[in-house]
Amino acid sequence: MLSFNPPIKEEKNYNDLKIVEIEPTIKINLRSNKREFSTKIGKILSILPPNEANTSSGNESYSLLWLSPDEWLIYSNNINDTLDNQIELENNLFNEISKLNQGAVTNVSDHWVMINLKGTKIFDLLSKSCPFNFKDFKKKKGSVVQTVLNHVDVIMHNKDQNELNLFVRRSFSEDLWLWINDSARFL
Amino acid sequence: MFIITCPYCGDRDQTEFSCGGEAHIERPKQPTELSDDEWAEYLFMRKNIKGVQFERWNHSHGCRKWFNIIRDTSNDKIHAVYKMGEKPPVI
Repeated sequence: MLSFNPPIKEEKNYNDLKIVEIEPTIKINLRSNKREFSTKIGKILSILPPNEANTSSGNESYSLLWLSPDEWLIYSNNINDTLDNQIELENNLFNEISKLNQGAVTNVSDHWVMINLKGTKIFDLLSKSCPFNFKDFKKKKGSVVQTVLNHVDVIMHNKDQNELNLFVRRSFSEDLWLWINDSARFL
Repeated sequence: MFIITCPYCGDRDQTEFSCGGEAHIERPKQPTELSDDEWAEYLFMRKNIKGVQFERWNHSHGCRKWFNIIRDTSNDKIHAVYKMGEKPPVI
């Protein structure tokens, strides 16, 4: 197991809403505008980086989120990954991309905290303090959005119907966690 | 409050963006040859007109990309959005 110190140590259940931090997971940020980049990622991860805005691609092991036209975020779907798995993946990507000047690979496992929200009231909760229009987002599985929630920068990944992964910067995670729980009480 | 169509992400609320001021101000090719007044003119002086203005905006809470907007400052109506490096559309 990866040895991170999670800022959130409990799982919360409300009416039709379950909130838990999924920790630890490998998260790697990729930046590139080179043509060969997609092929290299495809070879290493067996997933092609999505080119369409606000979408994601993935397989059983990893999800690959579109962040901007030249930026993506990989995160592992397997919470049993070890530190060796992380080092191996990071080294593979670094040797194939960064070393060959094909782009930048940054390990952001410690930077982002991933909170998993499940239930029918997810979007009622998010709509309390998020300016984003979730109408199309919630219909499309795999949608990704970077926006603000209660004035905190977040990335949201629509995993499945009524299931969403929310990424927040570690220093803001406790504050957002408290806000989520406070707001969830009134749903 | 108004909606801005980011050329990369789509329609988003204005609170996700930051305004970078007037667009299409060219940096002088030979800054050392300018007088203090000319340099100050380039660096600080902006039109800030009431009406249609060309502006730079950054999607700071989204894709973090810069782009240009043609906006009417009197009523926040956006006439056009175009990417950096593109020629401004005729309005």
